[in-house]
Amino acid sequence: MMPLVEVRNLKKYFPVKGLLRVKGYVKAVDGVSFNIERGTTLGLVGESGSGKTTVGKLILRLLEPTSGSVYYDGKDVFKLKGKELKEFRRKAQMVFQDPYSSLNPRMTVFQIIMEPVKVHKIKVSDPESFVVKLLYRVGLNETHLYRYPHEFSGGQRQRIAIARVLALRPEFIVLDEPTSALDVSVQAQILELLKDLQRDFNLTYLFISHDLGVVRYMSDYIAVMYLGKIVEYGPAEEVFEKPLHPYTQALFSAIPIPDPVETRRRKRIKVSGEPPSPINPPPGCRFHPRCPITKDVCRREEPKLEEVESGHYVACWLAR
Amino acid sequence: MSEEVYEKKLLDKFSDAVIDAFASLADKIRPGWKKRNKSRIDEWKLMAYAFNRSPPGIIGAVLIVSFIVLAIVGPYLAPFSYDLQLTFFDPDAKRAPPGTVIEIKGKLAEVLGVKPGNYTLILGADDQGRDLLSRLLYGARTSLVIAILVMAVGPWIGIILGLIAGYYGGKIDELIMRITDVFLAFPGLILAIAFSAVLPPRISVFLDNHPDVRDFFLTLFALKPQHAGPLASLLAVVVALWIVWWPGYARLVRGMTLSERENIYVEAARALGVPTRWILLRHILPNILGPILVYLTLDFGGVILTEAGLSFLGLGAVPPIADWGRIIYDGSNYFPKDWWTILYPGLAIFLTVLGFNLVGDTLRDVLDPKTRRSIEFKVKKKREG
Repeated sequence: MMPLVEVRNLKKYFPVKGLLRVKGYVKAVDGVSFNIERGTTLGLVGESGSGKTTVGKLILRLLEPTSGSVYYDGKDVFKLKGKELKEFRRKAQMVFQDPYSSLNPRMTVFQIIMEPVKVHKIKVSDPESFVVKLLYRVGLNETHLYRYPHEFSGGQRQRIAIARVLALRPEFIVLDEPTSALDVSVQAQILELLKDLQRDFNLTYLFISHDLGVVRYMSDYIAVMYLGKIVEYGPAEEVFEKPLHPYTQALFSAIPIPDPVETRRRKRIKVSGEPPSPINPPPGCRFHPRCPITKDVCRREEPKLEEVESGHYVACWLAR
Repeated sequence: MSEEVYEKKLLDKFSDAVIDAFASLADKIRPGWKKRNKSRIDEWKLMAYAFNRSPPGIIGAVLIVSFIVLAIVGPYLAPFSYDLQLTFFDPDAKRAPPGTVIEIKGKLAEVLGVKPGNYTLILGADDQGRDLLSRLLYGARTSLVIAILVMAVGPWIGIILGLIAGYYGGKIDELIMRITDVFLAFPGLILAIAFSAVLPPRISVFLDNHPDVRDFFLTLFALKPQHAGPLASLLAVVVALWIVWWPGYARLVRGMTLSERENIYVEAARALGVPTRWILLRHILPNILGPILVYLTLDFGGVILTEAGLSFLGLGAVPPIADWGRIIYDGSNYFPKDWWTILYPGLAIFLTVLGFNLVGDTLRDVLDPKTRRSIEFKVKKKREG
C-alpha cells in the first residue's frame, strides 16, 4: 500500500540576517526522509531546536522548503495549486501546541468551528446542531457554544481546537505537542480522545513531542531527530525495546520510571554539553561531540540512515 | 454576571437600556443574534459601566451628543437662513452686538421668506449682517458632515494598506511604507492646502454632470440649491483630507499587524485554508480594533480642527457657506472690538474638539482590558472600604 505521506530529503534553512547581508543559515531541517502509512501514527521525537515542528509545518506547507519534497497521497504538496491546494488544506490539518493562542480571542466557539466549514463550503443544514455534535464528540457540550476562548481551561481549549479540525473531516493531522501545555491529568484525557478519534475516523497522525512516555503510548512508528536530521527510525516497540543510536539510548535512559529499585539498577547514559548550534553543525556525525562512544570515523564522515534490521533504520557508524 | 457584582446607578441603567435596545433590534433583524452574542453584550455593558465611572468621559460624551444633535436639527432650529443678510431690514445689523433686537416687517419679509416680528440676535451678527446663531447651527452641520465623510474613507485607506504591509512584509511592506513616508514628509496641512486649491473646478464639473449626487450633498450639508459652487469647495476639502489622512493609520496598523500576525491563531487559520482576505479582516482587524477606535475618535476632533483651519486660511468653505473656521476668518478683521464674531465660533470648535478628545482618552482606558479591570477594582474597593 502506498504511504499517505512521503517526505523526501526535506531541507529548510532559515537565513540569519546581518547588518547588510545574510550571515549564515539556521539548518533547522537538513535532509529528512520518512513515510507515514495510512491510519498509523508516527511519533517525531527530539529535544527543542531539533526541527520537529518545522518538519510538521513543512508537510502542511505552512512553510516553503529550501529543497526536497513531500508527497501526499502521491501528489507533490509544494506543487499544488488552486482547487487541489484547497482540498489538501481540508484533508491535512494541524493541532498546535499552545491552546491559549491558537484560538482567536474575538470569536465564539461557534464561529471558531464554523469558520473552516464556511471556507471550504461544506454544506451543513443546521450549523448549530452540527457544531453541538462536534462539541459532544470532543467532550464539550452545547452550553459552550457561544462562549469566548478566555472562558475555557487549557484542556477545554485544546478540545475546541480539535473540534475545529474535525469539522473538516480530515485524513491527516499534525499534532504539534498537543498536550505539552496541559496538566498531566488533562493530558491523559486529550491523548485518549485523540486515540478514539483516530480509530473512529481512520486518521493518520504525525505526533510531535519531546515527551517520550506520551510518544510511546501514541505511536506505531518513531522517528528520532537530532539537529535537523533523523538519527533513528523504526516501529515504536522495537525502537523502545532496542534503541540502536547512542542518542536514542541516552534519551530513553532519561525517562523516569516510577520504581526506585529499577531506577537504581538501570544504567544512565549521560550526554554532556548542549546541542551544537544548527547554524554551524559539527562535521561528520552531528552527535559526535556529545557521544559517549565516539570513534575517528564519526568525526570525519557523516553516517547515512541505513536499515539495520527489517524496518529499523539508524544513522550511526557504530550501531551497524 | 455583571448585575450581581456591580451596583448600578441611573446612568448605568440608561446605558444598559441602550445596549439592550440595540441587541433587541439586532435580534429582530437576525434572529438568534442575542443568544449568539450574549458574552459580547455582557462585555459591552461592562465597558459602559467603566466608561460611566469617568467624569471627563461623561462630559465629553455630553459634548459630542449635543454637537451631533445640533448638527442634525440645527438647520431646522435656526431662526434665519445661513445667508440671510439682516441689513435688508436694519442697516445697523452689520456686526450687531449680542442681544440686538431687529424688527422684521413689510413686503420684503414675505419675499425673503421670513415671518414678520421682533427677533433678538442672541449671539449678535457678523460683518455681513447675518445672524451668528443661525450660522453657528448651520456650521455644526458642515463640520459634522465633513468629519464623517473624511473619517469614513481616509483612515480606512491607511488601515487596509497597514494590514497588507504588516501581514505580507518584505517588498510589499517596503513599497507601501516608503510611499507612506513620502506623504508623511510633507506637512499634512500644506498638502491639504495644495489639493483643496486644485480640486474645486474638477469637482464642480463632476457635480454638474451628476445632478443626483449634487442634490444629495446639498441636502446633506443643508445648502440652498443655488450654492452648488461653494459645495464643490467643501467636497474639495473632503477629498484633500482623504489624501493626507491615511499615512498615520498605515503606520499604526502596520505595527500592530506585525505583532498580531505572530499569534498562532493566524497560522492556524492559514492551516485551515482560510483566505488571506478573511485572515486580515476577520482575525487581525478585530483584534487591533481597540486602539484604532481610540485613534479614530481623537481624530474626529482633529478633522474638525483641520477643516476649520483650512477655512480660516480662506481655502475651505467659500462664502456664503456657514463654517466655523470661515466665520472666524470673516470676523478676524474686527477683533477685539467686535469680539462676538470670533468668540462664539471659537467656543464651538473648542468644545466639540474637547469632547472628542475626552471621549477618546476615556475609550482608551475602557477598551484596554487591563485598565478597565483597574477601574472596576477601584470602584469595588471604594464601596467595600
